[in-house]
Formats: sequence, C-alpha cells, structure tokens
Amino acid sequence: MPSRESVYTLYSHHHGWLNTWLRSKLGNAADAADLAQDTFVRLLQRRELLELNAPRAFLRTIARGLVIDHWRREELHRAYLEALAHLPEAEVPSVETRELLLELLERIAQMLDGLKPKVRRAFLLAQCEGLSHKEIAEQMGVSLRSVERYVADALYHCYLLRYESEA
Amino acid sequence: MTTLNPGPRVVKQAIHWMLKLRESGHNARLQQQCEQWRATHQEHELAWQRVQSLHQELNLRAVPGASVALQTLENSSQRLQRRQALKLLSGVLVFGSAAWLGKDLQVISPLTADFASGTGQRRSVRLPDGSLLQLNTNSAVDLAFEADQRLIRLKHGELLLTCAKDTSAPGRPLLVSTRDALLQGFNGHFVVRQDDNCTRVSVSQGTVVIHSPGPTQWIHAGQSYRLDTRGATLLQNQDMDAGAWAEGLIVTRDMRLGDFLAEVGRYRHGYVSCADDIADLRLSGVFRLEDTDKLLQLLPQTLPVTVSYRTRWWVRLERLA
Repeated sequence: MPSRESVYTLYSHHHGWLNTWLRSKLGNAADAADLAQDTFVRLLQRRELLELNAPRAFLRTIARGLVIDHWRREELHRAYLEALAHLPEAEVPSVETRELLLELLERIAQMLDGLKPKVRRAFLLAQCEGLSHKEIAEQMGVSLRSVERYVADALYHCYLLRYESEA
Repeated sequence: MTTLNPGPRVVKQAIHWMLKLRESGHNARLQQQCEQWRATHQEHELAWQRVQSLHQELNLRAVPGASVALQTLENSSQRLQRRQALKLLSGVLVFGSAAWLGKDLQVISPLTADFASGTGQRRSVRLPDGSLLQLNTNSAVDLAFEADQRLIRLKHGELLLTCAKDTSAPGRPLLVSTRDALLQGFNGHFVVRQDDNCTRVSVSQGTVVIHSPGPTQWIHAGQSYRLDTRGATLLQNQDMDAGAWAEGLIVTRDMRLGDFLAEVGRYRHGYVSCADDIADLRLSGVFRLEDTDKLLQLLPQTLPVTVSYRTRWWVRLERLA
C-alpha cells in the first residue's frame, strides 16, 4: 500500500496536469475529471510501492488504462445498440437483461484485450455461437489443430488474468 | 488452500481436458479418465475447478439475449483499436489494461465496486439496492452484492450506512464486515468504524446484529459497542457523537483534548499534537470539519492553550504561558 502522504503529494503536484492530459484524450471535461479522480483512487488501492522517479509517466500509465476502459464501454454500448436495431422486435431483450449482458460483455472484452485477432475470434465462436472446433476451423479456413491451440490459448490467457493476479 | 497454486503445466492440462470433453460431447470413457486425472493430485482438482468456473463465467450461450454478443464484441473491438491507434500514439504498447489492473477487473460493475475517500474527504454513494453509504475521511470499502447477500467490506476507515429495503431480491441480508467483526443491518442507520485495535459500531436508528465476534447479539438504537478479539463490549458515556461527521461536524461532550486532537488529525494531512500537561483538559461543543485550521484557531477561545505551526503540516498546542 503506498503511503497516503505520497499519493497526496502526487495528487497536489500533478492533478491539474493529469486533468488536462485526460481532457485532450477524451475531449470532455466531466469525463476527464472523473477519470482523473479514478486514477488516484487506483493509486491508493495499489499494494506495491509507487515508482516516483517519473511520476507523470506513472500516472499516465494508469490513466491510459482507464481511458481505454472508458472507450471500450462506449464502443460496446454503441455496437450493442446497433446490433439490437437489426433484431426483430420480439427478440429485443428487456432493459434489465440488456444491462446484465452489457456488463458481461464488458468483462469479457476486457479479459480478451491483447489477444491476437484469430485467437480471439476462434474463442468467441466457441463461447458465443457454441460452434465445435471443426466448424470453427471450416469457418475461419484454418486447421483443426490451430483452432484447438487458439481456444486453449485464449482460456489460458483468461485463467492467468483471473487467478494469477490474486496470488 | 491459499498456498496451493497450480503451475502452468497443470492449468494447461486442465484446459485440455475441459475442451476435449466438450468437443467429444462428454464421452463417458473420457469423462472417467478426466476424473482419474483430477483425483491424482489436489493441484489438478483445483485447476479443474477454476477452469470450469471460468468457462461458465465466459459462457455467453447461457445468457438470454446473447445472440448479438459476437457481433457486438467484434465490432466494438475493432473500433476500440482504431481509437487507441488514433489517440494514444505514444509508442507504448497498451497491452491489456485489464491485465495491468489485475484484481480490479470488476471495478466497473456496480454490483462489485470499490469506493474510497481521501484524507479530509467525505463521499456518499447510493448502492444498487437503494441504501445510502457514506464514507468518512480516509476510508475504503469493497462491495459484493450477490444473489444471496449484500456485503460491504470496510477495508479501513469509517462508514455510515442508511439501510434500504431490498426490493430487487427481498431477503438478501445486508452485511458489513471489518477486520474484527461481521454485522448485519436492518432498517435504520448506523456507523461502523475500524480503528487500529478494534471496530466500533453505533446504531442511531433501527437494529444491528453482531454475528461475530462472540455470540449473536442485538444492538438497539442509541447503543454503541466495541468489538475486538475479546468480544463485544457495550460502550457507556460516549464523549463524541459517532455520526456527526456525516453532517460535517465533530460533536463532543467532555472529551479529552488529546483525544480530540487525534480525532481532528484524521481529517488533516500532517501531524497535530499537544503538550502532555494539557492533554487532559476537557472540551465540549460543536466544531465544523470543513476547515480544520480554523477549528484549531478557535481552541484558545475556550481553553488556556496556544496553537503554533512549525510547518503548515505540523501543528503543536502548548499551555498558555
């Protein structure tokens, strides 16, 4: 846990700068203020000591992650609404279901971040569409062996994120 | 259990088994072999359980309305990458912000969120069930609102909880856990404060049940308890109003100056202290927390003390010469 004193110092010295940096990324003062606040909250929750040699680079790393999370949420909402627009009315889920599903999608999207497109695609075809490895291989035009490796790699990646960070 | 952590090879084997079983349509012979593998070592079984639960968590086919999931995920991912490429050109690979944040993965979910307040800050949060959670200075909580319970983990600091009836899923208990205690709130509001060596709970309205430490016990409105490894002790004659901070106040009755300054110190950065010969002076009154410098300046009006600033962060009170 970093000392509160050091986070406070960081905050008082760099808060204005961080706010400006975030606003340049987000183009929106309210979101920038929220994410600046979140950045410092994240700092307080971290267990390791702070790297204070280059405080701005350090803050930027955290803030960048939050900006991406923010964008991911926006893009998911947008893509989801578009997908819903193509559904027959009877199949459009209730507001509650939509919220739940979006939350789940966000968690999954966040987890799959950083996977190679093919790995990600193969994994999603299995998880979302329930296709067998053979069907996925046909659809993607790759070998069965490759699909098996892709799906296993994706699961291993998720496993590490879920369990190894707690160790 | 916590020391056991399956190595990469075992995890990959578990994944292999799971996929093989799924692809084979859960063939009986394979199933048996898999069970044998699981039984050979505790590590195998743990890896298997984790892979299973992860697989379920990521199973989008079980969710209603998920028919558009693939399309949504793929489209949004492409756009996200374009945005990243466009706006974060910095030569730094932004691989997996989620990986970096590790355990905070679920922070964005309103059902399992973390809230924290800094020194001198107070925060109010409306919880998913309608309850109002207020955090005092320098406090942090984890929320775990699940199908069978509403749990608030006080990691440090102090909270005031105004309970709401759980309309979305009646019957889920509303629990607060601290290092020392597990409490259950009913209607009304109460304060829970975790200090270095104990937890204190004060009920101003409604009822709270202490599940631990000690035997189950009810706390009624107007009562305060101290909870630590020795159990629960009823506190008499409190020298301070436990929940006044929620209104931005410290309200004291005959409180020792030394204790009062320790209390004020929670809301400030730096260090506030007093000479031993004035620590037992008594103080009663209502003080505003919004500006603790101003608050300290008021003390010489009622007590024979002087306030001196060695630096902006280091304040010392001495007996008036």
